[in-house]
Amino acid sequence: MELLINLTVNGLATGMLIFLLASGLTLIFGLMSVLNFAHGGLFAWGAYSGVWFYTLSGSFVIGIIGAIITGIILGFITEKLIITPVYGNHVQQILITLGFMLVLTELLKVVWGPNQMAAKVPSYLAGSWEFGDVLIIKYRLFIIIVGFLVFGVFQYMLQKTKIGLIVRAGVMDKDMVQALGINIKRVFLYVFMAGSALAALSGVLMAPYSGVIYAEMGFEFAILAFIVVVIGGMGSFPGSLFAAILVGLAGSYMAYYVPALSLAVNMMLMAIVLIFRPQGLFTAKG
Amino acid sequence: MKTKFQWNTLFLGVIVLVLAVFPFVSDSRTWTILLTQIFIFSILAMSYDILLGYTGIVSFGHAMFFGMGAYTTAVMLKRMEPSIGVFILSIVCGMLIAALVSFFIGLLTLRLKSHFFAMLTLAVSGLFLVLAEKWRTVTQGNDGFTFKAPEFFKDRMMFYFVTLICLVLVYLLLRRFVNSPFGRVLVAVRENEQRTRSLGFNTLHYKVIASVVAGVIASLAGSLYAVSLRFVNTSVLTMDITLDALLMTIIGGVGTLIGPIVGAGVIELTQHYLSGLAKDYPIFERWIIFFGIVYILAVIFFPRGIVGTVREKLWKRKTKTRPVGKGEVS
Repeated sequence: MELLINLTVNGLATGMLIFLLASGLTLIFGLMSVLNFAHGGLFAWGAYSGVWFYTLSGSFVIGIIGAIITGIILGFITEKLIITPVYGNHVQQILITLGFMLVLTELLKVVWGPNQMAAKVPSYLAGSWEFGDVLIIKYRLFIIIVGFLVFGVFQYMLQKTKIGLIVRAGVMDKDMVQALGINIKRVFLYVFMAGSALAALSGVLMAPYSGVIYAEMGFEFAILAFIVVVIGGMGSFPGSLFAAILVGLAGSYMAYYVPALSLAVNMMLMAIVLIFRPQGLFTAKG
Repeated sequence: MKTKFQWNTLFLGVIVLVLAVFPFVSDSRTWTILLTQIFIFSILAMSYDILLGYTGIVSFGHAMFFGMGAYTTAVMLKRMEPSIGVFILSIVCGMLIAALVSFFIGLLTLRLKSHFFAMLTLAVSGLFLVLAEKWRTVTQGNDGFTFKAPEFFKDRMMFYFVTLICLVLVYLLLRRFVNSPFGRVLVAVRENEQRTRSLGFNTLHYKVIASVVAGVIASLAGSLYAVSLRFVNTSVLTMDITLDALLMTIIGGVGTLIGPIVGAGVIELTQHYLSGLAKDYPIFERWIIFFGIVYILAVIFFPRGIVGTVREKLWKRKTKTRPVGKGEVS
């Protein structure tokens, strides 16, 4: 029983990290129909800059804020430089964002060197709580809480605020929103920056979780995020939460019970969903 | 148009001749190996261009077919005897496996939209990479294994000629393929799939065959690559191979067959040159940044790549009735 709880907490924590990454991806796709293959690069940049700020200042909170700011700035640059010139051409978008991913990953190695960097859990989040036989690692719980908080905040913003209304309307019909006198291009930019900030946040939270960060982690995690976006349905915010938890739990259980399949299980999940329900489990409406 | 076509062929013939004579003139081992590498990657990039340039499909899983060829040849040469017969047999086997796999994957995934297809191919090739890592009894995972190449290839020059011949054959074959009525339909699919379908073509059928052709040729490139290194490990299945093919195709010129060859040459040569520079300037160890930037600029400003852009300019010059005093096109 305690094993099951531990595996579940593990899976949930991983799932939340993937959710943070995938939610930005899915919002960007839903609104702009841009599939951002550079998203993993923003994730890795968040991790590196976050750890850098963290070690420099000694405060994890400053690390997180630094990572989010880096994400926002990079998101701005990416949208202006990379996405806008090829807007509307899917094949070019796929190609160019992948190229930008390459550049981002290599730039990381230029700035911080090609070696792995270690990241420690801050002292107040280190250690674990014991409830009888059940051992809950504090940092994992922290990730889960942050994940649900972010979900709550974004869900509130999407459902209750004016900008959320515009975004939701934009997902449904961009031209109509534009015709109603709203500068949809600016909304694109904001959403892209918000998505990048989420990716960076996910990166910096990931760093102490895995202990080390390396430039290629962006690519590895981006694949998981793509899988989540496909399973959850492109453009669906709650869908990405559900799918991320599914992928996280599946990975965590499989790693324990059938280790050989742990890496393949996500691909299989995605293949099954794509073949039988190509639009994803949730559809983005409203 | 007829005369231009012949000029092209003559030009290519001369280049092939120069390349054929090259090893007799220069006995530089580095150049022979580098050119062999370029030929192999040209084959890979051409096969990729069948998908990207002619059919308009973005696949991120091309490395798996390359890897299949490489592993089939490596495993067969190691387990059986290192002879020419086994080598040819292994190429055929690799092609068959690649054809089967690409057929089934294509059948399942090609009905999806471009985004989904790109992601799914990424995932499937990831799956093959994991499979190769785990199936250590055969592949020995990331450590890889060495094997003996056939006696005939002990001389680097022989292998140079074999790859050159393969390149020319593949080029001629693919040129025939893309200029056939079948190839025209592929271009139509690229331009407007819906309209092609409404004209009565079963586009899925055409796309699947295009992906099978691309997979088979990529497998050939993989087989040659394995023999050229006499070593194989899981790096032949990684995303890097797909990225190489992608860069070569984009920079060289999508939608042409010469383009990928030019791209392969440019990239391999620059890579060779830049990694030479890295001894003095450490920044060049990250040479991929330069390619990344060039690649992004190419996608924005020269979506047709080197060959496409040059061709366009030449064509414009020819169609102009009056000569314009602009700079000469190289």
